[in-house]
Amino acid sequence: MFRMLLKPFARFFEVHAKAHYRAERHSMALTAGIILAASVGGFIEIAPLFTIDETVESAPDMRLYTPLEQAGRDIYIREGCYLCHSQMIRTLQDEVDRYGPYSLAVESQYDHPMLWGSKRTGPDLARVGEKYSDDWQVRHLVDPRALVPESVMPQYAFLLAAPLETESLPGRLAALRTVGVPYTDDQIANAAVDAGGQAVPDTEPADGVAERYGEETNIRLFDGRRERLTEMDALVAYLQILGGLTDLPAETQPPRGD
Amino acid sequence: MMTRLMATERQGALILSGLVALAGLILAAAGRGDPMGVHGWITLVFAGGVLLIALRALDAPEPTEDRLASYYDDPTKVGILLALFWAVVGMGMGVWVAAQLAWPELRFDAPWSSFGRLRPVHTSGVIFGFGGNALIATSFHVMQRTSRARLAGHLSPWFVLLGFNLFCLVAASGYLMGVTQSKEYAEPEWYADIWLVIVWVVYFVLYMRTLARRNEPHIYVANWYYLAFILVVAMLHIVNNLAVPASFGAAKSYSAFAGVQDAMTQWWYGHNAVAFFLTAGFLGMLYYFLPKRAERPIYSYRLSILSFWGIVFFYIWAGSHHLHYTALPQWVQTLGMTFSVMLLVPSWASAGNALMTLNGAWHKVRDDATLRFMMLAAVFYGLSTFEGSFMAVRAVNSLSHYTDWTVGHVHAGAMGWVALISFGSIYAVVPLLWRKEAMYSWKLVESHFWLALAGTVIYVFAMWNSGITQGLMWRTYTESGTLAYSFTETLVAMRPYYIARVIGGALFLAGAVIGAYNVYMTIRVAGHQAPQIDYPTGSEANEPAVPAAE
Amino acid sequence: MDLTYEATSTFAKSFGLIYLIVLSVGITAYAFWPSLGKRFDKAAKSLLDDEDGPCR
Repeated sequence: MFRMLLKPFARFFEVHAKAHYRAERHSMALTAGIILAASVGGFIEIAPLFTIDETVESAPDMRLYTPLEQAGRDIYIREGCYLCHSQMIRTLQDEVDRYGPYSLAVESQYDHPMLWGSKRTGPDLARVGEKYSDDWQVRHLVDPRALVPESVMPQYAFLLAAPLETESLPGRLAALRTVGVPYTDDQIANAAVDAGGQAVPDTEPADGVAERYGEETNIRLFDGRRERLTEMDALVAYLQILGGLTDLPAETQPPRGD
Repeated sequence: MMTRLMATERQGALILSGLVALAGLILAAAGRGDPMGVHGWITLVFAGGVLLIALRALDAPEPTEDRLASYYDDPTKVGILLALFWAVVGMGMGVWVAAQLAWPELRFDAPWSSFGRLRPVHTSGVIFGFGGNALIATSFHVMQRTSRARLAGHLSPWFVLLGFNLFCLVAASGYLMGVTQSKEYAEPEWYADIWLVIVWVVYFVLYMRTLARRNEPHIYVANWYYLAFILVVAMLHIVNNLAVPASFGAAKSYSAFAGVQDAMTQWWYGHNAVAFFLTAGFLGMLYYFLPKRAERPIYSYRLSILSFWGIVFFYIWAGSHHLHYTALPQWVQTLGMTFSVMLLVPSWASAGNALMTLNGAWHKVRDDATLRFMMLAAVFYGLSTFEGSFMAVRAVNSLSHYTDWTVGHVHAGAMGWVALISFGSIYAVVPLLWRKEAMYSWKLVESHFWLALAGTVIYVFAMWNSGITQGLMWRTYTESGTLAYSFTETLVAMRPYYIARVIGGALFLAGAVIGAYNVYMTIRVAGHQAPQIDYPTGSEANEPAVPAAE
Repeated sequence: MDLTYEATSTFAKSFGLIYLIVLSVGITAYAFWPSLGKRFDKAAKSLLDDEDGPCR
């Protein structure tokens, strides 16, 4: 009975069975099948996300990373900090209580790549900016266990001795513009100078940073020293802006009143 | 290594390695003062070494025998040795980084020796170095045997194998210098990614051409899995690594995607790397070596086809379960969760199929540690796919995510499933390839088995405990409605488990070292065996046949 | 058609389901197609076919 029902369709499969030595045809069919099965699913699931701009919150006050902050972000990636620290506060009460308002999609809008992370060996850093002083951050990076005895974080004292390479910053900002971060020509052209300027307050280069990136920009000594621009400056500048690119999360999620 | 190549093929090897060396030189020149320049030098030295070998063998006598009458196993042999080398390196790194979390002073002070730079050396070392080489080597073996045809080409298998190892080398050395895209399991930068695409295309063409020569009407299911591994990994790799380099003279590049799209793309990649690298490829291994070793056909061939397509369909959707409760739209999270749960069906079908194959051969499992490796691998495959589906449920994930539970789950799969099936297959295939009667020492195989089992169990239990403990501590409130534990307090609670993990990992590493030693001694001293009949034939005929598609 | 988020995600949710059902029916039919049974059996057994040569 089953066989009878299937008979009209048998042809489809018999073609293959007969063509024993038309071997390529089998393997090509298999290839096509695998590609079809594996690509359509992913495409259907991912494609809508590229039209997401219209439904995601918009944050008009969203600012860009300054060259120094971007350099710091690149160091954060280079050292693999993202392997132990997430930057994504989930929509769970205890996370909001511990780390602050949950993360919005718009906050990582310009993050190429995103650093949401997958493991919290250390705490989440999505809103760590300005939670501690520059001095605390520097001392903690130099010797984490001096400040938190139980910490298992690696020490990064060498950052304090490593001069920050700034020559490549215009190229890096330009690459970021290619993938969609709206840096202006002016910002790209001055990237190297601005990186240094952000770490020497009350100077002409520092004024240039404020002019190009807004008065809200953190212009400080960061590593505590004026005479040298180090990788520590960059990393601390980056850490201090985390969660500070837009005020939207704080505005839309008022603190829980008891 | 070169004696079985024709003069023209040796010249080809010379030209190819010369070209790669030239590419290395260009990379070194363009990337002066940047880690990319160092990678140029590494490439140059690597390709130069191959070039020297080819040069020295240029005038050696050509092979006289009819090459098509036998299988071409030299690349498989080298691939297996490389797999064992990377296993020791990768697992050694794993033990070191695990120890750093228990004793932070083991970080020392060098920039390259921090957890953040070593951890990708561990993950890439075991996944790509060990797993990848094991997959490439066994796929060469399996595709020839199941097709009853010799590899289609003598140069391309070497190009695939050595090219892939160059990629691994560039990747691992890059991490130490801080070269990383930050995308987990896809860390290497743009030039390494481009190189891998070239290698992979050659791999695919080689596979297809060998299948086209086959003397069997039907493509055995193990090849389907290997083929899915090759194809889908190529697709994932290309899409996830789309990036714009900051300059063609430096390593740094920026992902084409940002924020939520980047997260989805990354975990679409990340989860399917698990699916098609760490599952599909190794299932190919399982479907060949387990029936072969047990000397019983697979329990249900139909089930193996069903579960193949189930795995290919379902896995591809499941990636978003890595992003529960994040800024990813909820419907995508739900989709990922649903498919992850459905995935249990084909996964357990595969595991069950493997175990049912052994039904009736349990005495062999008892006596033969090699077969026991494969049996245990199937059990762990079943366990960790169940755990995976469970953890993909949003409510469970809210607890498990970001904790060591995830780490434990991954290692149940990586150690219990991937590594055990690889070691089992290696023990099965090494005596055959080197024409030995058996492994050098069955006792060492036996002790490797128990070390691996003990190591995995200790590791996984430690991580379950620490993960669940930490997850619960994070969400515990006091009676007055404030959080009960600071982050530091949870860290202190983790410490005993982190030490236990080091012990588990060290046991597993010891097993791998013993395995490598045993293989080495097998090649060096184990008794020779007269070559068995091991040549390509038609399945109907007894005499060697000329492959059909010649 | 405008490529809005609404449209693409609705398409994803509906077409995705149909796609999946069609494919699973096709695969099940292939795997359990009666006349293919012999080929499958042969493939499974030929692996162990020792007289033809290969392993062990």
